[in-house]
Amino acid sequence: MKAYELIMETFRRRASIRLVHLSWFGMYALIFLIPMPPEAWRWGTFLFGWSGCLLPLLLSDGIFGDDIASGRIRLLVTEPIRPGELYLYRFLGLSLQAAVHIWLAGALILLLQWLTGRGSVDRFVVWMLASWLLFNVWAAFSTSLSVVVRRSHNSMFLFIITAGVFLVVSFLTTFFPENPGTKAYLAALRYTCPPVELLAKMGIGKCSLAASVASIAHSLMLTALYGAAGIVLLCRREFKFVAD
Amino acid sequence: MNGSENETVPVIECREVTKVYQSMKAGRRSSVCALDKVSLRVGRGTIIGLIGPNGAGKTTFLSLIAGLIFPTQGFIRVCGHPARSLEARRSLGYIPESPVFLSRYSARAVLEYHAALHGLSRQAIAAETGRLLAQLRLEEYADRAVGGFSLGMRQRLALAVALLDHPRLLLLDEPSNGLDPIGVIELRRVLLDVQQSGATILISSHRLGELEKLTSDYVFLHQGRIVEFGGEVPAGQMGRLHIEFLPGSPLVAEETLTPYRSLERSEAGWVVGVAGVQDVPQVVSSLVRAGAQITSVALETQDIEQTFVRLYQERDGS
Repeated sequence: MKAYELIMETFRRRASIRLVHLSWFGMYALIFLIPMPPEAWRWGTFLFGWSGCLLPLLLSDGIFGDDIASGRIRLLVTEPIRPGELYLYRFLGLSLQAAVHIWLAGALILLLQWLTGRGSVDRFVVWMLASWLLFNVWAAFSTSLSVVVRRSHNSMFLFIITAGVFLVVSFLTTFFPENPGTKAYLAALRYTCPPVELLAKMGIGKCSLAASVASIAHSLMLTALYGAAGIVLLCRREFKFVAD
Repeated sequence: MNGSENETVPVIECREVTKVYQSMKAGRRSSVCALDKVSLRVGRGTIIGLIGPNGAGKTTFLSLIAGLIFPTQGFIRVCGHPARSLEARRSLGYIPESPVFLSRYSARAVLEYHAALHGLSRQAIAAETGRLLAQLRLEEYADRAVGGFSLGMRQRLALAVALLDHPRLLLLDEPSNGLDPIGVIELRRVLLDVQQSGATILISSHRLGELEKLTSDYVFLHQGRIVEFGGEVPAGQMGRLHIEFLPGSPLVAEETLTPYRSLERSEAGWVVGVAGVQDVPQVVSSLVRAGAQITSVALETQDIEQTFVRLYQERDGS
């Protein structure tokens, strides 16, 4: 019952959560109405971007920060529940929402592609898996950030950080492509940040089976690492009387 | 731990607890000592009023016992377990000053949610929810969204949440905030019932008159320290016994009055702290037996409000 309530809470906590899911489904459908040349769209890539990168930011928005800012956390953490459980079940709630979302989105996209014949659904199941794995890494990162960042700023911070990192990468690869520093920076990002590049390669089919398995293991390990950091932060955090 | 051991373990045990808040303002580190070497032991089945002026450290003290913050020094145990441990949390119920719930949840859903966090089974959750909705008279509002609740209603719901699974310690921070007179009377009834069942209640409140109807045991906090009321004398029943003697008698009285707390002394007489009118015959007869020649005896009793003001003025120098 404990797990069920905490998992369901991630879906029920805000009216906007349902709206996000519905509007995302609407987006998947609307994109089919845009005139485009045949084969121009890879629906797997599209799902990867929307549900793997953007959806976690919206679903995990203020997942702990809302409670900390309102003072509700003071009621939660005095209940007989370990901080690790609180974190884990909330993360599982997000992950399960994503799994259901990706299955429904996949069914919708496949149906619309079959009806319209537009775009490509090559390796679509692999893309669905990659999307879910990427969602989990972002969601764990964002949830852990939410333990220390008040209110809903975790998603905004993450968005700004990602945009900043992307700008630096673009700058370095444009102006200093052969510089050893650039290569070291890219390697560091590849293995410590959410593995967009590695999972995208897996989706496209540019890597071998062994490399795909390694990418899956890598994204699961990053999820666990970010999650563990969040649990440690939650265990060490003080919950003073401060309400917005 | 067996049942008899449970009886002897203090429900709250704080030893030399200090809490210093650190903060950074404009690049400068500043620190505020909210609690300074506070020690306290509270047994089973008592109601303790936690009183003190604003900023005295009451909420900090409750937060430390609830495990919401860490002490800078010292240790705190709840029912024999370190504060913030799972066992300590299992033993306590807590109401913050402004309880907040998910506004989309109904009162019933809130109770079911918190009951689930206690690890109760589906049947136990239904039973506990029903019992507490009835006890706190929330049945009428059980299926309404909490977002539309008044502060008083939220306080009642918070009390229901705190009472889930029969806690052995209740920590209440201004629980009568926003309650109407009927709500206050009901709160008192519920708290006395809870006490009767053997639970200990530590209640912080500025409503001293209300506290006085609940308890005669108080902890007075001032600038982060516990102010002594006078040994074992509960503040609410505290009396000031003015005894005047013929010249020479005070010396005789000195030994006799040693067990009592001397508040003031002069050539003409003494003022000592007593628990109440029941102590007066004993004090007077022991003085007479010792040969003191008493010229007058007057007992001045104080209610908690007067005691609060006196202690505050003594400490504040105003």
